[in-house]
Parts: sequence; C-alpha cells; structure tokens
Amino acid sequence: MQTRPILEVSGVTKRFGGVTAVNRCSLSLARGKIYGLIGPNGSGKTTLFNCITGLERRDEGEVRFKGGRIDGLKPHQVARRGIGRTFQIIRVFPELTALENLLVVTQGPFEAARRRAEELLRFVTLDRLQNEYAGNLSYGQQKLLEFVRVLMTDPELILLDEPAAGVNPTLLNELLAAITGLRDQGKTILIVEHDMKVVMGLSETIFVLDYGEKIAEGPPGVIQADARVIEAYFGR
Amino acid sequence: MKRAFQVGLAVLLFGLALYPTMASGYGIRFMLQLFMWVALAQSWNLISGLTGYVSFGHVAFFGTGAYAAGILVTTHGWHWVPASLAGGVAAVILALLIGYPCLRLKGPYFAISMLGLNEVMRVLVSYFEGLTGGGSGLSFPTQPASVQIYYAMALSALAVTGAAYFIITSRFGLKFMTIREDEVAAEAMGIDTARYKLGAFVLSAFVPGVVGGLFARDTGYIEPISVFALIITITMIVMALFGGKGTVWGPVLGAVTLFVLQELVWARFLFFYQILFGAIIVVVVLLMPRGILGVLQQRYHLPRTI
Ligand SMILES: Nc1ncnc2c1ncn2[C@@H]1O[C@H](COP(=O)(O)OP(=O)(O)OP(=O)(O)O)[C@@H](O)[C@H]1O
Ligand SMILES: [Mg+2]
Repeated sequence: MQTRPILEVSGVTKRFGGVTAVNRCSLSLARGKIYGLIGPNGSGKTTLFNCITGLERRDEGEVRFKGGRIDGLKPHQVARRGIGRTFQIIRVFPELTALENLLVVTQGPFEAARRRAEELLRFVTLDRLQNEYAGNLSYGQQKLLEFVRVLMTDPELILLDEPAAGVNPTLLNELLAAITGLRDQGKTILIVEHDMKVVMGLSETIFVLDYGEKIAEGPPGVIQADARVIEAYFGR
Repeated sequence: MKRAFQVGLAVLLFGLALYPTMASGYGIRFMLQLFMWVALAQSWNLISGLTGYVSFGHVAFFGTGAYAAGILVTTHGWHWVPASLAGGVAAVILALLIGYPCLRLKGPYFAISMLGLNEVMRVLVSYFEGLTGGGSGLSFPTQPASVQIYYAMALSALAVTGAAYFIITSRFGLKFMTIREDEVAAEAMGIDTARYKLGAFVLSAFVPGVVGGLFARDTGYIEPISVFALIITITMIVMALFGGKGTVWGPVLGAVTLFVLQELVWARFLFFYQILFGAIIVVVVLLMPRGILGVLQQRYHLPRTI
C-alpha cells in the first residue's frame, strides 16, 4: 500500500511585485526521510519555506500536510499541526536565557519540559550556558540553540534553513548525527544547505530550485551529474 | 540575598499597611499618588516593556476609567469602589475594541495610533456633554476617603506588579515576552502572538482604568484635559524607562524616584522641575536606555526578577 506523503506542495507560486520568488513549485515528501533543497542565492528556497510555514501567503497552488490543507493557516497554526522550522538568519529570543528559549515554546507538564530542555542543551554542549541570555551566545551557539528549540515541540516535519552555516566543525558532526537520528525516529526533514558535502551526505532526495522553479529532483548522485543543475550553479 | 529581599519586602508592605494609622493627611495623599504612579508605570511596562509594543496613549485607559467611574458615582449613585472596578472594565472593553486593529501595527505606527486614540477619547468625552459634563467637567459630591483610597491604590499597584512578576517568571508569562523578542520566531514556534498581544494589552489597560476611577474620586473633580493629558502618558513612560522597562522592580523604582523628586523640587521650583524632567528624559534615552535596573542587570548578570 502506498502511504500518503506527509507534505505535498502543489504548484505553489509566490511573487514579490515583479519578482517571482517561487514559480509553480511542486514537491512531495514521504514520512521518515531526509530531503535536500538547494539552488543558487535568491532561487527561492527560503521563500518556499515561508510559504509552507505560513509566514508568507502563497499566490497560487496548495500545500497539504498529512492530507489537510495548510496554506492559508497562520504560522502558529501550521506549527501546532507539527511543522517546525529554523531560520537562515538566527531568530533566537535574545533576552531570554538559553533554557527559557527552549521552555517557552512548550506546553504540558513543566518538569518533563525542563528535563527535555536540559537534555537537549547538554546535547549541544550548551548546558553550562543555560542561564546565559541567548543574545550573548556566539553565532554558532545560537544556531544550535535554535536547532534544539525546534525539537522541543516535537514536530513531525522539520524544515532547516542552513543549519550548518557557522557551526564549528566538531559540533557539525554531532549536528549531522542528530539530524540522521531524528530521521531514524521517524521524523521527516527538509534541509536547505549551501555546503554540498553536507546536503549530499544527508539527503536521500534533493530538489533543485533555480529562479523559483524546480529544475531537478533526485538522489544526490543523479543531481550532481544533472546538466541543468550544473548550468544553474556554474553556467552563468 | 533572595531571602533578605523577601523579608525586606514583607516588612515594607507591612509598614505601608500600617502607615495610614500614624500618618498625616498630607502623608497619606502623597503615598496614594505615589502608588498611583507605580500602578501606571507598571501597567505601561506590561504592554510596552514586556511585549515591546510602545504605547503613547496609555492615559486613554486612565481617563476612560475616570469618566466611567465618575458617571456611575455622580449620576447612578454607585459607591466609588465598584465604580472604579467598572472603570477598569470600561478600560478593558476599550482595549479589546482598539487592540484588535491597532496591535497589527508595528513600531512607531502602533505608538502613534495610541496617541490618536487618546485624542479621540478626549474629544468624545468633551462632546457628549449630557453624560460627561463636557468641557466643564464632572464634580463629585465628596467626603474625603483618603485612607480607603490609599489602600485601593496600594492594592492596584501591588496587583499589577504581581502580574509583571508572574509574566517574567512563569513559562506561560514568557510567551508574552517572545513577542518583544521576535514575533516571527514566536509564531513559527506555535505561539499565537495575536492572542498574547491582545491579552497583554487588555491586562495593561485594566489597572489604569481602576486607578483612573480612584483618582477621580480622590480629587473630586475631573475634566477632559486633566484625565486625558498627554503628560500623564509621558510621565508613566519616563518612570518605567528610568527604573528599567522589562523588569519587575524597574517601574516601581522609577515611579518612586521621580515622584519623590517631583514633590521635592516641583512644589518649590516649577520651572526648574520641568527642565530637570526634560533632562532626565534625555539622559535615559541617550545614556541608559535600559534604565537603572536594566544597566545593573546587564553589568552584574542579575535576573529580570529584580
Ligand atoms: N519579502 C520580500 N520582498 C521582496 N522580495 C523578496 C522578499 N523575500 C524574498 N524576496 C526575493 O525573492 C527571491 C528569492 O529569495 P529567497 O530568500 O527565497 O532565496 P533563497 O533561495 O533563500 O536565497 P539564499 O540562498 O540567498 O538564502 C529573491 O530574488 C529575493 O530578493
Ligand atoms: Mg534563503
């Protein structure tokens, strides 16, 4: 039996004035896999994330999550349905402490949330800094904090916008291991990443955007050899 | 340290509770006005210090409460206590009506919209003469009730400071602060920012409404220009900024310092006080935008609960 994709993006278009940032884009994600989303600067990757998470309203097309329409929902409603995301430009809560950054997004039993938060902070080696204001952490530390914050809400689908940028090499390996670990727990992950080694290593399927259009889709080996992709990256 | 603070606070509250039994009439009225300013500065802190929506028209809630209570007392014969509570409810209703459209605005646009609200309220109150007495104001048939009003003002200040404490220290309350920190991230993390914003706004309107009613009863006479006065908004903002917005005790410290200063200087040198007040605004804005407690907090890594 064919199970239904967890996320279906069909024909989504987003324009900003004269710029078509995302152009009739369709993707389908199966549960429990890691996907990559790549493309040159300005090709619409972040905008597509925004259309999925409700931060931007798509002009055309539809987005379905677990079969239900989510385009048109407010961002917090999308999040509550089980889609978590991180941001390309860090968006931690700077004047809350590292620990508070994690606790504030949770509901339900407090003690359980606190234990989970402490465990996640240990995991990204921020436990010693749990009472430090997030704004005082280094760039890489903030990036990691944002990554574990999204895990606090236990989303089924996680969208990561350049998670590896600025993270130091030792922690990077742990971060990558964590991402595959999440996949092994059954989570679905879509990663935007400029570091080709990272995306190619992690993803089972890669989508390539160019000028807002999906120009290729397939496993890393095929994508690397795709003429249109090579042209999009190097041809101009 | 924390223990000492709690004990000190308990002793202070106890002292304040007994104060009217031994104080002069002047002393009591001084203190009740002090409490009023604490309540106003702290209310402003709830919406502007904690959720970051800077309101330039918070006196609108004060004036609305004053008039709602005033009308209930003078024409419907209500006792001033329920009338003042009704003043708070009137302010909450106004906040609900106005919050929905205005809280979509960001930064200076929200601030200005609140300024506009206050102007509109003042004009409306002047216009409906039959109900409000118009420009000639509303007089209360008063017997002095300073001692009772002292306690009512104290409770108001305590209640709103308690609300600030709750917001700053509880996981639920921190959700309000994510709006100031990063509204987009808060939404993306599943926090319904529109609801929390409106909640904070309504909360920040209630006590000014109550306090407006108490003020009306205390002074015995209100008119549009006295209870919808821009200077009241400015004063509460400066008090909160001076002490430290976004902290529990900053607005209290700011209100106490500036009010005492005002009493000391203003009574004797009105002109000098205005210069001093202006200078304080400049110093706060330029040199310590986080206020006294904000600066201490950053330098010594103190918790926000100070
Ligand atoms: N809010 C906006 N208003 C106007 N134009 C926008 C807006 N957001 C994005 N764009 C434009 O849409 C296009 C796609 O931008 P987007 O940020 O989605 O690209 P990206 O693939 O994430 O790029 P990068 O790799 O640099 O992060 C760009 O031309 C950008 O200038
Ligand atoms: Mg981007």
